[in-house]
Amino acid sequence: MNAQDFQPLPPGKNNIILGIDLGTTNSLAAVMTPGGPRILRDKDGNGMVPSVISFGPDGRATIGSAAKAHAVENPLCTVYSVKRLMGKGMADLREDLRVLPYRVVGDDATRLAAQTQAGKPSTTAGAVAAASSGHADTTTAEGGCATEAGGARPTESREIVRVDINGRLMSPQELSAMILTELRQRAEAALGQEINQAVVTVPAYFDDAQRQATRDAGRIAGLDVKRIVNEPTAATLAYGLDQKQDATVAVYDLGGGTFDISVLRIAGGVCQVLSTHGDTHLGGDDLDREIIDLITGEIRSRFGQNIQFPPSTRQALRSLAEATKVRLSDAEQTTVEIDLGDGRNFQRTITRSEFESLAAKWLDRTIENSRQAVNDAGLSVEQIERVVMVGGCTRIPYVRRRVGEYFGPGKLYTAVNPDEVVALGAAVQAGILSGMKRDLLLLDVTPLSLGIETLGGAMGKLILRNTTLPCQAGELFTTYVDGQTAVDIHVLQGERELVKDCRSLGRFQLRGIPPMPAGAPKIRVTFLIDANGILNVSASEERSGKQAAIQITPSHGLTRQEVDGMIQESYRSAREDMAAHQLIDTRNEAGRILRAVDKALVNAGALLTADQRANLDATVAKLKTLLEGSDADAIYEAVQAVNTAATPLTQAQMDEVLRQTVKGKKVEEF
Amino acid sequence: MEDNTNKAVLTKCTHCKHEMSQPLLCDHCETLNPLPSFMDFFQLMGLPRRFEIDLKTLHEKYITLSRHSHPDFHAEDEPDVMALAMTVAAAVNEAYRTLSDPIRRAGYLLELLGGPASAQDKSVPGGFLNTMLMLQEELEDARVAADAAAKARLKQVLLTQRDGLLKSVERLFADLEAAAACEATRQQQLHEIREQLNAVSFVRKSLSQLE
Repeated sequence: MNAQDFQPLPPGKNNIILGIDLGTTNSLAAVMTPGGPRILRDKDGNGMVPSVISFGPDGRATIGSAAKAHAVENPLCTVYSVKRLMGKGMADLREDLRVLPYRVVGDDATRLAAQTQAGKPSTTAGAVAAASSGHADTTTAEGGCATEAGGARPTESREIVRVDINGRLMSPQELSAMILTELRQRAEAALGQEINQAVVTVPAYFDDAQRQATRDAGRIAGLDVKRIVNEPTAATLAYGLDQKQDATVAVYDLGGGTFDISVLRIAGGVCQVLSTHGDTHLGGDDLDREIIDLITGEIRSRFGQNIQFPPSTRQALRSLAEATKVRLSDAEQTTVEIDLGDGRNFQRTITRSEFESLAAKWLDRTIENSRQAVNDAGLSVEQIERVVMVGGCTRIPYVRRRVGEYFGPGKLYTAVNPDEVVALGAAVQAGILSGMKRDLLLLDVTPLSLGIETLGGAMGKLILRNTTLPCQAGELFTTYVDGQTAVDIHVLQGERELVKDCRSLGRFQLRGIPPMPAGAPKIRVTFLIDANGILNVSASEERSGKQAAIQITPSHGLTRQEVDGMIQESYRSAREDMAAHQLIDTRNEAGRILRAVDKALVNAGALLTADQRANLDATVAKLKTLLEGSDADAIYEAVQAVNTAATPLTQAQMDEVLRQTVKGKKVEEF
Repeated sequence: MEDNTNKAVLTKCTHCKHEMSQPLLCDHCETLNPLPSFMDFFQLMGLPRRFEIDLKTLHEKYITLSRHSHPDFHAEDEPDVMALAMTVAAAVNEAYRTLSDPIRRAGYLLELLGGPASAQDKSVPGGFLNTMLMLQEELEDARVAADAAAKARLKQVLLTQRDGLLKSVERLFADLEAAAACEATRQQQLHEIREQLNAVSFVRKSLSQLE
């Protein structure tokens, strides 16, 4: 790695921080340069990498456009929209599972706990010793500071999902890591140096579990995620760079799978988020699904209710629906045609207004969210001066019309590239973090209220939504019974009053409290939400002041040990990939030399002595035998042997060529 | 009441021991300092400890302190400095959040001055509950009938109520400041402020239900 060769680096820095937009349908990376943020593109000028992973029969993964191309022929082994699975449990995904062609399975928490049992940190021995199996334990208790007062651990079994690729179970984090790795490798190729740090964007309305899952995906991909940035905020960073005037703006971000609306104040080099709202399950995918439902419904009513749609057809329908949606942005109507086999042909013209009526309920939801965000910012809609449109769906004329109707005429700002602005903003944030850009101050907020379960299953809020990050809240806990040594804390996120309506982040147990009369111990638990929007919990006993740091492992997340295991796995598969590559290269080389020898034998075979010929035939035969196996080293040696044995042939051939040339020419021509 | 109103609180840098002109970032060696434990939000923001403050000055100070402490600007620092930046920035955010909102500011100031917390003193001004009960009934009727005009009118009533209560909070704080009263009178004044504040919280809750 040579820092001086790379011009975007400020002096004294040798670590590039990559800005990454990890999208539901497309992902891309950008880097900060002294001239501003730049999207990294391949040699064809493409910056976008479809967030699609396809697994071949040998288990090898292809990522991006190539993977997308295989989606229809290989639907069970092609994974897309994995972002929708991040930090979720099976119960959250019912609607998605109906349409995803690949298999998603719930995970057996007990089995996972058994797996993690081996790797438990010994420093938490006091707390862990009493842990029954069936719990995912994963405090990251720093050093030896888990004291008698403060050992804490989540005690709730988790709900997480895995994608089943021919029996190989992969977490959404691992799959996202493959996309991140692809982006990292592309960036490394483009910049000519190793990259191990990144800023990754997430929807502003992502909860703690989804953010942690994204950070874990980064770690598995070999990237230290320096910051998780909210997508609308990132968009504002990129947009705000060129704006000289102070303004109150709204960012309307309708992407492939998620919707965010943020209200911000940009003034004097400060980007202050006033409020944010959204829906992490609302996006272009849903509009596609409306078209799919329309088509499949009509097919069934025409050709029979019992028509089944196998995964490959579902995949084809999805591509068709997406294309239809895109075409209707320009055309007033478009015709879809599907050959169902057995002479059954389905043809249907869809008009733009028909599509709009299908999309209306989704757009209603985005407008309702927008209203809420403006209200939470303490503003009226008239006070919003500009609406920055982000995400591919904001190209749809109907979306623009609805947003324009709500915010008022002439406010829509569509001059940014809606697909690229988020990645550009991530690069700007990377520039801030690396010290390249110090004049911009970004103040973001937490999208959801944080609280704990109180008596009677109510949610007691400690940090309200739209509080500027980082923020913290403390709460004093005590015991209810004499001699009680443990206290349960259930941490929640959400706006509803009842625990059952909120998102469970994790359940912690404060252990090892010295036996005292009820109410005597005072344990202060501090909940700190960092600049990434991720919760950190620490606890200390007031009397002794002893401290214990705990990082929450969410109810829907991976344990530290699991992530470490996945990092090891990715190293191993990287090595395997490299070995596989080597084998392919060596085989190609072998094929090339065998063809060359065959050709030379035809032309100059007669010129070899019998010994030379026998020697060459023997080495060629040996190479052909070895090619049936997969020992790259042996093949390589055999190739070298053929090369050596073929030297007289090559020599003879050269001589012959030279002789022929000379024969046809006069001496004076030399 | 101790005299600490308009004076800047000076501290020494924990690193280079130079006197600092403002909290957090040392002017001399640019080391980020922890928040002194004795410092309240008014002192942190360089504001007099009183209810009436200049919001523009507050915002400017908030931005300056944020530029000094925000974790974004300490991402390349040692882990202990990064951790410090996080807690200091969280405190700066909390200070701004508390002081920029009149109701939170009043509650915070009341407790700083030794007044009762809402948990200790739940009383409201006389007659307030009756007024609110009537308003609640009207609100419920408007909600059931989905009467937008009635809702808008009630919202206006509640807003007027809120502003009136805040005005009297402001006046009570000013009275407290003006005359050094005997302890009994002082406690009575603090209690009155708490009553008004409890009422404001009530009105605000009704307002949020309206939305």
